[in-house]
Amino acid sequence: MDSQRLEEEFVKRVQSGAKIEASDWMPDGYRHLLIKLIHMHAVSEIMGVYPEKEWVPKAPNLRRKLALMAKVQDEMGHGQLLLRIVEDLAAPYGKGREELLDDLVEGKVKFHNVFHMEARTWADAGLIGWLIDGAAIINQASLLSTSYAPYARILKRICAEESFHMQHGENVILSIAMGTDEQRKMLQDSLDYWWYSLLFFFGPLEITPAAQKMLHYRIRTKTNEELRQKFLAKYVPRIWSLGLTIPDPTLHYDSKLERWHYAEPEWEVFQKIVSENKGPKSQERIALRRIAQDQHKWVRLAMTTGI
Amino acid sequence: MEKQTEPSGVYEVFVQRDHLDPMMHVGSLLAPTNELALQLARENFTRREQILQIWVVPRTHIYSAEEDDFHAREMDRSYREVSGYTENGRLWRMFKEKEITLEEIVRYVEQKKQSKHDLHREESHES
Amino acid sequence: MSHEMNSLAPELLTGQQRMILVDWLTQLADDEFIIGHRDSEWLGLCPTVEEDVAFSSIAQDEVGHAVFYYELIQELEGVSADDLAFQRLAHERKNSLLVERENGDWAYTIVRHYLYDLWDQIRLDAMVESRYVPLAHGAKKMKREEYYHLIHFQHWFARLTKCGGEARERMKNAMELVEQDLDDLLDMGLYETDLFSWGILTKSSEEMRSEFYSRYEELWRDMSDLSERKLIFSKQISKGRMGQHSPALASVLENMTEVIRFDPNAQW
Repeated sequence: MDSQRLEEEFVKRVQSGAKIEASDWMPDGYRHLLIKLIHMHAVSEIMGVYPEKEWVPKAPNLRRKLALMAKVQDEMGHGQLLLRIVEDLAAPYGKGREELLDDLVEGKVKFHNVFHMEARTWADAGLIGWLIDGAAIINQASLLSTSYAPYARILKRICAEESFHMQHGENVILSIAMGTDEQRKMLQDSLDYWWYSLLFFFGPLEITPAAQKMLHYRIRTKTNEELRQKFLAKYVPRIWSLGLTIPDPTLHYDSKLERWHYAEPEWEVFQKIVSENKGPKSQERIALRRIAQDQHKWVRLAMTTGI
Repeated sequence: MEKQTEPSGVYEVFVQRDHLDPMMHVGSLLAPTNELALQLARENFTRREQILQIWVVPRTHIYSAEEDDFHAREMDRSYREVSGYTENGRLWRMFKEKEITLEEIVRYVEQKKQSKHDLHREESHES
Repeated sequence: MSHEMNSLAPELLTGQQRMILVDWLTQLADDEFIIGHRDSEWLGLCPTVEEDVAFSSIAQDEVGHAVFYYELIQELEGVSADDLAFQRLAHERKNSLLVERENGDWAYTIVRHYLYDLWDQIRLDAMVESRYVPLAHGAKKMKREEYYHLIHFQHWFARLTKCGGEARERMKNAMELVEQDLDDLLDMGLYETDLFSWGILTKSSEEMRSEFYSRYEELWRDMSDLSERKLIFSKQISKGRMGQHSPALASVLENMTEVIRFDPNAQW
């Protein structure tokens, strides 16, 4: 069969709901998109460790300290699960763990905008657990139906673990929301700081050619905007119920259009943060990653070769 | 010189039934070679079902823990379980809202209908 | 003799017994809490992603064990476990100097933790039959959990010391650094003889220490050409167990209480 016929058959299969395994034949375009998507997902989990890790030593009581450690550990664990998927996909190109993580410290793979931002207060740490995890869960839930079976299986496991993260995040936020005026002020300030980052998290409004390809191959089945709408529908009422003000006076549900109207984030500003690693904490956190990757090469060498 | 017969080895058998399922251990068998172990596993373990994949692994290649204590989880770990946060429902009610569960999100994102259980929960919440 | 004595019930302790028991529990709790805290600083920085996950579980276990000990003190003293963990000043803390040291490199981390866990195992062994029953119960559970820690660090330790080159150099340096704090770790405070005579521990401190040192010497012997070591416990006048700490602990505490200091009366 020529490659065009193979490709057509492949697309027909995935569009009718078939699942693809690592050992199945797949078009190069499919493989590349998967590598790009899952590599970014994996390093985002790993970079997501740092904003919360900073608050482990400062967690205000024993239970919070333990819970935050467990949560950060899960993020790293998700990074591990996802890296293994990418490693199998990237093996034909001679790329393994070292290379995939080198890409991170060399700025060759991007990670989510939210993990470039600073976690300034305990309320920020809580808000990350509640809303950023909430956004990530909506994104990951939508990927459960992906055509790539190894990814789908791992996402199932990830989502199951995220259910603890959701409860933990809510619990931290509820405690602050029920607290003193100063605590509530801290929480409001946190929402103000994170709101537009959260909106940006789901990606641009327009369906880019790459996003179109992902939909075509059923790697994704939902658009950025569909997911952002779902996030708003689930979370805005809860944010309001806590008596918080969302820093967007135009935000409302348009019942005629059946969608949430919102003020858009400054796309270019956020895009620059992600594509050039120019967020407030990008370089500092990449430097932390470098400790693991470069300063500990001797450990990996010793353990694998015995020298 | 006469060739000595190697005794058959033990192979552990794993089966995957659905793309979303992990490999499951289903049992073991005796076989003289990897290839035959795979062929025998097909009829010994999956002759009545449609499966996706089957693995045979020589038992000698399996490395496992010898001490029970290896698996010990003795102290309280509710801080990392959903069950450690049951107060959330009560706390949300103070704000006239309810907690979100993962199941709810997955159903909502996949646009599946709410189960009767959830509808009931919502009604009782509103009352 | 001690194991034949009746159990010690919390409500029947004399004032002196209570004070001594609390002193011992504080040493244990603070050791576990501070080493767990130090371990948690490795989050996201371990040499491999897999180890990062595994090491975090150990960190959580250690803090979990600290919670257990703090709760025992809470029952005796009526101060909450959280206050015990977060509200005490450096000079009120009884952890050993070893656990408060900064993490250093991976070699130091492995050597410190391995030797700490060897000692912890000996301590737990001396407590599983303790006359103070709540302590004996907990020690049995913790001993089971510590089994994994011990084999984990044992494997790291053995593999890294058997290497040549950089790994071996680093391990040797780490051994020498850790060794300087071993006496402080093995010090059991002012009341170590009472702990044994009242059956809170079923082994004497001398017996426990000689057990540790014989295992320590074995380690040196196992490391092929690393020269033999013989250590003799020399009781320092006063250090970690007496509340005398290095500046490292002060900075840990400073960091740890940042949120609490924001509003000491707030619930978080």
